[in-house]
Amino acid sequence: MTPDQKFNAIRKGLLEFLILKIISADKVYVADMMKRLDATDFATQEGTLYPLLSKMRREELVDYEWQESEAGPPRKYYQLTAKGKSQLAEFADYWNYLNTTINQLGR
Amino acid sequence: MNTVIIVNLNGIAFHLEEPGFQTLRNYLDGAQAQLAANPDKAEIMSDLEQAIADKCSHYLGPHKNVVTSADIDRVIAQMGPVQTEAADTAAASGAAPEAAAQPGTAKNTSPGPSVRRLYQIREGAMISGVCTGIAAYLDVDVTVVRILFALFAILTYGLGVVVYIGMMLVIPFANTSEEHAAATGAPFNAQQVIDRAKKHYAEFKDSKEWRQHWREQRREWRRKWRTERLWWGTNFQRNMYQFRSGTGYAGQIIAGLMLPFLAIGNTLLSCALLASIVILASTGSLLGWHPSDSMPLWAAVLVLLIVFGALSSPFRHARKAIYFNQSSYSLFWFTAWYEAISLALFAGVCWLGYTHIPEVHAFFENFVENMRTMWLNILNSVQHSAQHIAAISRA
Repeated sequence: MTPDQKFNAIRKGLLEFLILKIISADKVYVADMMKRLDATDFATQEGTLYPLLSKMRREELVDYEWQESEAGPPRKYYQLTAKGKSQLAEFADYWNYLNTTINQLGR
Repeated sequence: MNTVIIVNLNGIAFHLEEPGFQTLRNYLDGAQAQLAANPDKAEIMSDLEQAIADKCSHYLGPHKNVVTSADIDRVIAQMGPVQTEAADTAAASGAAPEAAAQPGTAKNTSPGPSVRRLYQIREGAMISGVCTGIAAYLDVDVTVVRILFALFAILTYGLGVVVYIGMMLVIPFANTSEEHAAATGAPFNAQQVIDRAKKHYAEFKDSKEWRQHWREQRREWRRKWRTERLWWGTNFQRNMYQFRSGTGYAGQIIAGLMLPFLAIGNTLLSCALLASIVILASTGSLLGWHPSDSMPLWAAVLVLLIVFGALSSPFRHARKAIYFNQSSYSLFWFTAWYEAISLALFAGVCWLGYTHIPEVHAFFENFVENMRTMWLNILNSVQHSAQHIAAISRA
């Protein structure tokens, strides 16, 4: 297993929270999210994103509304629910905590 | 030349070359199969079709109204395989089965896997390892636990010792390495609270004004304490001594008969104190008294301890006066008599509470967890005060 494959497992687990984070800033639609993620190591594809978003909606972390677009069919604009916000806050705390733990262990 | 097939992608018609159509069909069938168990299957499928339609229209123009097979290959490469949680775990099995997002979110956010358990730890133990176990469980220094335990034992006149013996008998030893891991455990949420409290305590300890203030306060307390003790001590002991020395043997019998009353008074007070502390620390209020308005929780507990000290001091001094000047032989029997009554009474009160009062029952049922909650509440209040003082000293 190459290092990159190992990191991939980590990235996969974090994707959900990155999406929460992206949505927390503003209402976004899927193409927006992918554009934001493309610039990072977390670049992902529709095949992964749609099932994940539907899972998050089932867990009531996100919700969407349809909005007309100038070009093409109406789009789903996602936004955070209260539960999603609190989970994002929890995640941010936990992330900080993980960071300190990792930095403190070993050298 | 290639056959063209017209397909409907989420409401829009596209002309696809036949091989491309096959590729797309395979992709969508694969997606269907992946999503078979997903309650949002229809919605996700239409989302995917929509995304494919968007991408396909990028490859169309005024002079090109057919999506070629090569276009479809590119579109599908962009779309990526449809992955669900189940597929993830299957694919990543061996790599990191837990890390690959379980369906439940709680698992992902809860820090650290294991549940912490209370064990006795023999390594570094002074007696049996109860304190080391508690210290590991709460992740505080074992010295702190020992001092608190000793204070508790002194304050309750030996009840702490009984509690210790009880815990010694009840709490299992950590023998295997898994049990050791569970005793120290992976950090849990409350861990952060304690860490923060420790950090703030360190800052707090170092601030100069606080130290000076504390020194003055201590001097004040010591002076008050000395006068109080002198007053109670001299009065009671003098009275009791006169009473006893005047009556000789009969006095000893009377003293022996009096001890149970002292034991009853003192034990009931101790029970009341313990119950008050428990109620206060776990609910934040006591009999309509909400100290949080005027003082932090730790101060309220301190107030309770001081009130208890004052209320129980007549009992304490009366007992000292009875013990005073006894031969060591009768002193031993008096002490044993007194302690036996106290213990029996304490056990009786606990048992009555356990069987008759639902709240007390619930408390004992989940004793360790409740004690931890209380402890964290008090720590939290200390932390708040520390922050407050740190803020004042910074200002």
